[in-house]
Amino acid sequence: MSASLSPLLPKEDAREAALFFVVCALCFLAALSGLVSRSAYAAADAWTNDVTGQITIRVRGDDAALLQAVDVAKAVPGIASARAVTRDEAEELLRPWLGAGGVPVSMPLPKLVAAEAADTAAAEDIIRALASALKTAGLETVVDDHLVWSADVRKSIDLAGLVALVAVGLLGATGIAVIAFATHATLLARRDIVELLHLSGARDVFIAGLFERRFLMLGVQAGALGALLAFGAAAFVLYLLRQSDAQIWLLPQLSLSLADGLILGLAPLIAGAASMIAARVTVMRSLSDMV
Amino acid sequence: MREQGLAADDPVLRLDRVGLSYGPDSDVLADVSLSLPPGSLTFLTGPSGAGKSTLLKLAYLGLRPTAGRISLFGTDTTHLRRRDLAPLRRRIGVVFQEFRLLDHLSAYENVALPLRVAGSQERGYRQDVVELLTWVGLGDRLDARPATLSGGEKQRVAIARAVVVKPDLILADEPTGNVDEEMGDRLFRLFRELNKRLSTTILIATHDMALVRKAKADVLRLADGMVVRVPAHALAPKDAPA
Repeated sequence: MSASLSPLLPKEDAREAALFFVVCALCFLAALSGLVSRSAYAAADAWTNDVTGQITIRVRGDDAALLQAVDVAKAVPGIASARAVTRDEAEELLRPWLGAGGVPVSMPLPKLVAAEAADTAAAEDIIRALASALKTAGLETVVDDHLVWSADVRKSIDLAGLVALVAVGLLGATGIAVIAFATHATLLARRDIVELLHLSGARDVFIAGLFERRFLMLGVQAGALGALLAFGAAAFVLYLLRQSDAQIWLLPQLSLSLADGLILGLAPLIAGAASMIAARVTVMRSLSDMV
Repeated sequence: MREQGLAADDPVLRLDRVGLSYGPDSDVLADVSLSLPPGSLTFLTGPSGAGKSTLLKLAYLGLRPTAGRISLFGTDTTHLRRRDLAPLRRRIGVVFQEFRLLDHLSAYENVALPLRVAGSQERGYRQDVVELLTWVGLGDRLDARPATLSGGEKQRVAIARAVVVKPDLILADEPTGNVDEEMGDRLFRLFRELNKRLSTTILIATHDMALVRKAKADVLRLADGMVVRVPAHALAPKDAPA
């Protein structure tokens, strides 16, 4: 006599291994989508926060016009600071495109003033006042407030987030369909057991419970492994990028924030719950066709 | 486990003009009427292919008839909802001709199956199951899987599973078909004891006329899709299977 009773539903080794792989892969992709999407949102937030309130004034004219523009800017209410961008700073900004060799002395560089609004919330009003003051002073300038750029970044990130959400939804739906299909296949393959259980007086919920527990465990385990692999993959990609000379400042930053932990922690729970519900619904529907 | 609503002389199983067909001109059972009084022990005989197993399948609600009405423990099963089938089935012990043991379970676990289904805790039934298996001569094969058991051993496990919950009705399909005469007699004594001590109603489908004669019980003879009752006293000493 065994120390513990065998499960009433026997293990289907080959079939369950394949199903485990599929659910694991789906969870991996879903968790990766979630991580990338969240990181992109976080990065976009950081970028837009960095540039909000930053004002760049491009001045046409000589160095005197540049210095006059700085003075005019400083005098505008709401401008916290204003200074001329040096040639070295301008060269540094151009370095990614022109290389480390420096810019030829004969090459003219734009004359720039870097200013900052004291109140980012009122940045638009301040910028309007600044543009007006520069015009009144007779300076030929272009004022760039980065707002258009920030809005474009936001729009792109929102779109990417929507795509990620749809991808996660599709992966989830695929996972549920796969589990439902596998449950049905198991039910058909084990019809003899199901019939015997019925004839022994088992209620439908009892039989459904056997399948629910089986697929809950499978979903949780496969989901946990998928989430772990997703984190590993994201960390690996980031590590490779950091090791290379590639410019990664625009790439989402992987972190171990609470939100990341939530995504990774929820993946197996959602996979388990979805598997369990899919199994239950499939079994209950199939059993209703039996005598 | 007696049905509270069942009067003392109400039949445990009653078939009224029951028919089963799988299409036109393919009647398995044409017009079967029978009733099993509480505490009765009855044999069901008939030639091969007469429909004995089908009749038992109808009785344990494994099939629905295409005509007529089946009542179990005073309950008409014609329009019974699915959720109401389980309580009725728990009162029936079935010995299947093909045993229907679960290959991944041990002999012990197979016998305990109806108890697990009913939600009983193992510590509450362990001793009973072991004793029952010992009684049928399988005390040393508790952990054996069906694949390692002989036909006779499987049959004894199947019988033990059918009687372990002390059901109100036992339906047995050729329960002594795979064992020698001595074991056949022993298994029949088990049925007889349940019948006498617990008033369990028993219907045994069999070809074994020697067993039928020894048992001195009523016989339902199934032929041409119909059933004829032959009282025990009317059974000829050398009555061959009809």
